[in-house]
Amino acid sequence: PLQPPGPKAVPKRPGASRRKPREPKIASSLIKKIFSHYVKMPVTRDAFKIVEKCCERYFKQLSDDLEAYSSHAGRKTVEMADLEVLMRRQGLVTDKMPMNVLIERYLPLEYRKLLIPVAISGNKVMPSK
Amino acid sequence: VSSPGSTLTPLSPQRLQAAVHYTVGSLCQDVAEDKEVQFSKQTVAAIAEITFRQCEIFAKDLEMFARHAKRSTINTEDVKLLARRSNSLLKYITQKSEELALSNMEQKEKKKKKSSASMGGRTAEQEAAVTESEDSSMV
Repeated sequence: PLQPPGPKAVPKRPGASRRKPREPKIASSLIKKIFSHYVKMPVTRDAFKIVEKCCERYFKQLSDDLEAYSSHAGRKTVEMADLEVLMRRQGLVTDKMPMNVLIERYLPLEYRKLLIPVAISGNKVMPSK
Repeated sequence: VSSPGSTLTPLSPQRLQAAVHYTVGSLCQDVAEDKEVQFSKQTVAAIAEITFRQCEIFAKDLEMFARHAKRSTINTEDVKLLARRSNSLLKYITQKSEELALSNMEQKEKKKKKSSASMGGRTAEQEAAVTESEDSSMV
């Protein structure tokens, strides 16, 4: 089910037209899971609501920034390089903490494979570009 | 301040810091007179230190932005990207950069006029009249 990320059209689901359009957002259960995983402390329901709001705001900011960075490089497509610039500005990626280390640390193997070439048996490298 | 490619004699960090401190002091004095408040010596020193460290961050970011656009020279676009986060600052910077661009254009025009006048050549019809009057005055 995993496909390499890239600009592609989202297939329209039948019946989606009948429901009123809602803003897409990250499932609150997922936000809850991730947040509690890192907090290691009880969190009230209200606090989770605020975290959700912050996530929405974060994605708005993120898309604005990525747009600016890709257009700065004279592109209309957001690429890995834009994301790296963004994460550098956020102080996540530094000279001591390269992007690949973050990917290896925080992403599950199947996603890691898509982003970082992994040597597999048979003298092959995944993904083969 | 200097054109790209010119050789700058590198100053020691202490001298740079002293220069920043001095300028911050002058600026603080302006504010003090304007707002009728006092700045303690420690406050001025702290602002100077903050400014110095912020320059490091700015320099790194500007380098990154220029490299991102596959350039090795930092230009005004990179500076605007640096100020993007704050709307008021972006407005201010954009306005300043436009003013700079205008003054640069004027300077170039002046240079052109001078060179065209001294060479007796005509690059534009607008300048023709000016160069003619200059030519006649030269003769």
